[in-house]
Amino acid sequence: MSVTETDSEQAEIEQLRARVAALETELVEQAARTERIVAQAQERTYWLDRWHLDLNALMRKPGASQFRALLRGVRFFVRGAKKVKRTLLRGS
Amino acid sequence: MSRVSVVIPVKDGERYLAELLDALARERADEVLVIDSGSRDRSLELVRAADGVELLEIPPHEFGHGRTRNLGAERTSGELICFLTQDATPAPGWLDAVRDAFALDERVGAVFGPHLPREQTSPMIARELEQFFAGFAGPDGGPALHGPGDEPFLSNVNAAYRRDAWEQLRFRDVPYAEDQAFGRDLLAAGWLKAYHPGAAVLHAHDYGPVEFMRRYFDEYRGLRATTGHVEAFRPLGALRTVRAETAADLRWLKQQGVPVGKRARWAARAGVHHGGRRVFSALGSRADRLPAGVRERLSLERRDDGAAPVVDPAGPAGDPPVAPPRGRAIPVRRAASDYAEAARVLRDGPAPLLDPLPGMAERERLRLALVVPPWRRGSGGHNTLFQLLSRLERRGHVCSVWLSDLHGETGNRWPAVLREEINAWFAPFEGPVYKGFDDWHGADVAMATGWQTVHPALLLGNCRARAYIVNDHEPEFFPTSTEYRLAEDSYRHGMHCIAASPWLRDLVAERYGASADAFQLGVDHAIYEPRADVTRRRDTVVYYARHSTDRRAVPIGLMALDELYRRRPDTRIVLFGTDRPPRTAFPYEHCDVLSAPQLAAVYNEATVGLCLSLTNFSLMPKEMLACGLPCVELAGVSAESIFGADGPLALAPLDPLELARTIERLLDDPAEWERRSQAGIDFVASHTWDVATDEVEAGLRHALREREALLV
Repeated sequence: MSVTETDSEQAEIEQLRARVAALETELVEQAARTERIVAQAQERTYWLDRWHLDLNALMRKPGASQFRALLRGVRFFVRGAKKVKRTLLRGS
Repeated sequence: MSRVSVVIPVKDGERYLAELLDALARERADEVLVIDSGSRDRSLELVRAADGVELLEIPPHEFGHGRTRNLGAERTSGELICFLTQDATPAPGWLDAVRDAFALDERVGAVFGPHLPREQTSPMIARELEQFFAGFAGPDGGPALHGPGDEPFLSNVNAAYRRDAWEQLRFRDVPYAEDQAFGRDLLAAGWLKAYHPGAAVLHAHDYGPVEFMRRYFDEYRGLRATTGHVEAFRPLGALRTVRAETAADLRWLKQQGVPVGKRARWAARAGVHHGGRRVFSALGSRADRLPAGVRERLSLERRDDGAAPVVDPAGPAGDPPVAPPRGRAIPVRRAASDYAEAARVLRDGPAPLLDPLPGMAERERLRLALVVPPWRRGSGGHNTLFQLLSRLERRGHVCSVWLSDLHGETGNRWPAVLREEINAWFAPFEGPVYKGFDDWHGADVAMATGWQTVHPALLLGNCRARAYIVNDHEPEFFPTSTEYRLAEDSYRHGMHCIAASPWLRDLVAERYGASADAFQLGVDHAIYEPRADVTRRRDTVVYYARHSTDRRAVPIGLMALDELYRRRPDTRIVLFGTDRPPRTAFPYEHCDVLSAPQLAAVYNEATVGLCLSLTNFSLMPKEMLACGLPCVELAGVSAESIFGADGPLALAPLDPLELARTIERLLDDPAEWERRSQAGIDFVASHTWDVATDEVEAGLRHALREREALLV
């Protein structure tokens, strides 16, 4: 009877070890993904970091939203003008 | 309660005089004396109309900053004598604060308070006043006592004196800055002075930009005359200062809630102000070198006092004996200490490691965190680390780099830039780079990589194990010092060492009791190889003469080459590895710091290489050998642990004659040269970065196994 208990305990221990190993593998996979995402973000922000540009901080400054709206307005008109030009050229 | 007399020298001061006299009436000064030196405005009328104010008129030519104040003190009787200028209006509570300051200690001989900006004061002056006076306050922003060794600053715009102190010292009869001279004399005589933030006056010199410059000219001329101070002037330094001051003004304006447009306008004005200040203060200090007419035109007061008197360094005759100095109270103000992490480890011990798990050392993929000190292009130790990390990453391990920058050397480089530098200067790396440990999220193994990274790494929790990649025995880099002791301490915290040679492994194990493995430095055989397109010369010795690195024993190497040149004057000697050509007793060619391909070409052309290391063996001799270049190194240090006593390297004791003899033998004996050259190529063929990475990976797994052993 005691042998049976020992075997079952042993089996449970092995089962738990396997579970820990699986969780550890999962953790490594998750860490790999996270580190990759951070590295990719750093790859993308190289020039911003190089020029010490924190766009979030910049856009929080007074007047930044208005400036952005102005740029969007200008872009709207430029695109509109280009569209009109294309239409006119096509018509001729 | 002490009786207080107030003395105000006046000339054409009507603008603020009524306001000032009203404030004195409110403060209940016991006695007020105005000394007018020829006002042509309504000043006299205002004084005569004020209640309880005594007027003393003197001819303009009799006025002197020190002389007239002495006269005022003589004509009054209070135990405390306050001096105000005609444009300084006491703030409410001024007189009580003055009395409180004198009551702090009976040795207080003088009291001064802050100058608050008036509404129209320019931001440059307002900010400067605020920050300048805040520096005199106590740690809590309250009153503070200043004694010998402290800044002797006093300003008669708003200062009060104990009559005993004034009678002992009196103001010097100098054209300017009599208050500064008095402050110096006061402290030297053993008196104290006190600063009280409540003893404030509204005061400002709201001049235009040019007037400001001329005023600075006068002020610094006075300082030269009274204290001997000569303002330094370096154009680049001045530009940096102007930039920093202007930026500080703009920050201050922002804090005050000034709108952007207004700040932009002030930016230009601030630049002119600070630039003018730098130039005119330097000119004022050197006024004695200017022609009299120029001096007069530059002075706001249109004064031409002749050459500035030179201060007698021994002090004026009759100076009181110097009192024992009192230490200055320094408040806590460090945001970070160079070795705060070391102090924390010594006090609290390392952060606990995670419990070990069975089989963790054998997992295929490990999470590895490399903690590194700041690097520069060409840093050999970092090259080793990143070559290894790059290969560990390619093997599937999850790698990250953590920069531990104790001294702020990479202050303006952000993480993405640091990551790019690793890729551009050392080896390909795809993982992230973190600056500091704010985002620390744990690892299977945290790797320290230099003595200054060990204590920060010891504080990192959430790790299964810690290891220490030891590139050299770093205590030997320092004389007896804090750094020497901390470097020694770095081996004693139970981190598993992975040392860059068997010699180093044995040293850390035997001397410090550390558990240790070794790895062999690898060679990039794609670059360092024998080249058929480069003709080997038979007369050339190349020497790694990096004299800025003490452990390279460059003076001894140069002595050896000097001896060699004496024996063989036709030898061509080439030095490299440093920007500054060393002075030598022999002619040579200098090659500065070379890139890896350039080095390989030099090694392929030369006959003998010389590279000395007083500590751990470096990569360079291996790279020479890989190019078929026999190399001379020091015997009895670390080379034998890798190459054996009579391996491919020619070893010689640390003796210029022996080194010269060994080089000469390789130059003269073609058979010996050939044997060493071939043996070197054969020997280093197996020394690759992949092999080195195998050894380091085994060391990391060893560190984890040591932790696992605790489970048993």
